[in-house]
Amino acid sequence: MALQSLKNCLWLSCVLRTPKACFWSTASGGLIIQSVSNDVYQNLAVEDWIHDHMDLEKQHVLFLWRNSPAVVIGRHQNPWQECNLRLLRQKNIKLARRRSGGGTVYHDLGNINLTFFTTRKKYERMENLKLIVKALKALRPQLDVHVTDRYDILLDRQYKISGTAAKLGRTSAYHHCTLLCNADKFVLSSVLKSPYKGLKSNATPSVPALVKNLFEEDPSLTSEILLDAIAKEYAVQHQIDHHITLINPADETLLPGIGNKTKELQTWEWVYGKTPKFSISTCVNMTYKDSVVDVKVNMDLKHGRIEVCNIDLPEQWLPPGLYSELVKGLTGSKFCPNEATTLVTTLLRVCPQDDELHSRWNLLCENMIRLM
Amino acid sequence: MAAPSGRPVPAAGGAEPGARPGARIRAQPGARGPARAAPQGPRAPGSPRRPRPAAIAASRRHRPRPPPAKMAWRALRRVGPVLAPRCPRLPLPPRGLAARRLGTSSLLQSARKFTDKHEWVSVENGIGTVGISDFAQEALGDVVYCSLPEVGTKLSKHDEFGALESVKAASELYSPLSGEVTEINAALADNPGLVNKSCYQDGWLIKMTVANPAELDELMTEDAYEKYIKSIED
Repeated sequence: MALQSLKNCLWLSCVLRTPKACFWSTASGGLIIQSVSNDVYQNLAVEDWIHDHMDLEKQHVLFLWRNSPAVVIGRHQNPWQECNLRLLRQKNIKLARRRSGGGTVYHDLGNINLTFFTTRKKYERMENLKLIVKALKALRPQLDVHVTDRYDILLDRQYKISGTAAKLGRTSAYHHCTLLCNADKFVLSSVLKSPYKGLKSNATPSVPALVKNLFEEDPSLTSEILLDAIAKEYAVQHQIDHHITLINPADETLLPGIGNKTKELQTWEWVYGKTPKFSISTCVNMTYKDSVVDVKVNMDLKHGRIEVCNIDLPEQWLPPGLYSELVKGLTGSKFCPNEATTLVTTLLRVCPQDDELHSRWNLLCENMIRLM
Repeated sequence: MAAPSGRPVPAAGGAEPGARPGARIRAQPGARGPARAAPQGPRAPGSPRRPRPAAIAASRRHRPRPPPAKMAWRALRRVGPVLAPRCPRLPLPPRGLAARRLGTSSLLQSARKFTDKHEWVSVENGIGTVGISDFAQEALGDVVYCSLPEVGTKLSKHDEFGALESVKAASELYSPLSGEVTEINAALADNPGLVNKSCYQDGWLIKMTVANPAELDELMTEDAYEKYIKSIED
């Protein structure tokens, strides 16, 4: 077993490093690889790497991967609009932005991801999804699954079990999709619900759908069984060995430059900074000493930073000097709770030791940070 | 674009301003407008000759034929006002100078050129307008979002300058030239579908300076692009 997997690794190393040279000596048609990592950033980086470096002219690739809990938004989406960022932070669920288009999805180990790499010319989403349906039906003929013209896969004609997104590059393309095997539906529905009000944006919106796990339909189905069935069908259709090669996305020798790609996907500038410009117009109701203070907040955000900041406070609720320092400090800063907390803590230090003032300040700042 | 009269004149690089592209590129409103009415001088093909006084007619018969360069310049000047009414009148070069001068004028104004990534660029007064071709917009499907660079961004030829998201996929945009972004099409923010409806006119993406005019000559003419897309479809 060890010898076989070593041989595979060497073969894969040859194929991935010098695909053109080795192609002629290996079987053509297709290659099936599976990531040993559950880190969403590493796995997205593998996609980027294959897309940028591999010659897919004669050999298509199927990449299989699963992630520990993460929310993945589309290239041109707004995370504030798409998910509950507060809840994500509380539950330590990662947020990633992928390079393909489409909507927001929740990943955990009960969800499998499939990426079909082809040349741009051979890009064909429907074929790929039909392959998945064929594999599912071969496994369990009684399953009522079909592909819609929105490129979703529905179970029992109403529950979405798979969503699709794609990227077209210079010469290559990839189509990736999810498949719900046994994901946590309760976490899924709570994290994909945005609590943020008053957002106005032209970012691409998600289309919410009722979801179901294949496991609920047939408890004997596991992620491993499903992965294997799909790999088998892919192998049949591409006339290759039904063989899955494992790859380690942290292997810089196998995938030179993968480290940088992984890092870039984790930067604030990519995840939040790539949000299309948007505005927030909302009213925050603060309860202070038996009365309610209505604070109108209007902000314009660009590249995830506050470009314009208007906070409509009742006159003299805060000393004007302190108020203007707050607005000045927020303008230009990241729309990010950590950065805002640092700012307000710093400003508070220069305030006089006045309990009343401090409690008003804290109340306002807490409410402002809750918007982020 | 059709000239009001005369045969199309091949310019430097083989462009044929008068040649009509094949049927594949769908005509966009305004992209190839109707030929303007010919001015007084040259007559439209097929129209009856105006009667000339006998003396003048005789002298024309005996006038020696001008050199080829001068003829080419004359033809170009007739075509000029149709292509770019705002283009300044170009002085006649001395005798003997050939196509090289036509290359210099391309920085001021050029017919639409295409990349193999299906972007187009047309230059006017040193500013290039960039968009995607009809073939590309059809292949993409309905565009739902345009991600464009900031004004002032410096681009090299082939640099990725943005992306279009359509119902089909997210697709990168590659700069056809080197230069600096001077303007982006703000209309696309609220109406990304303009890229589909009017890819050569209202659906333009960015405007940029042309840092290296020679790069224009490396791009495909409309004809060459037509042939190219026919070949990749086969």
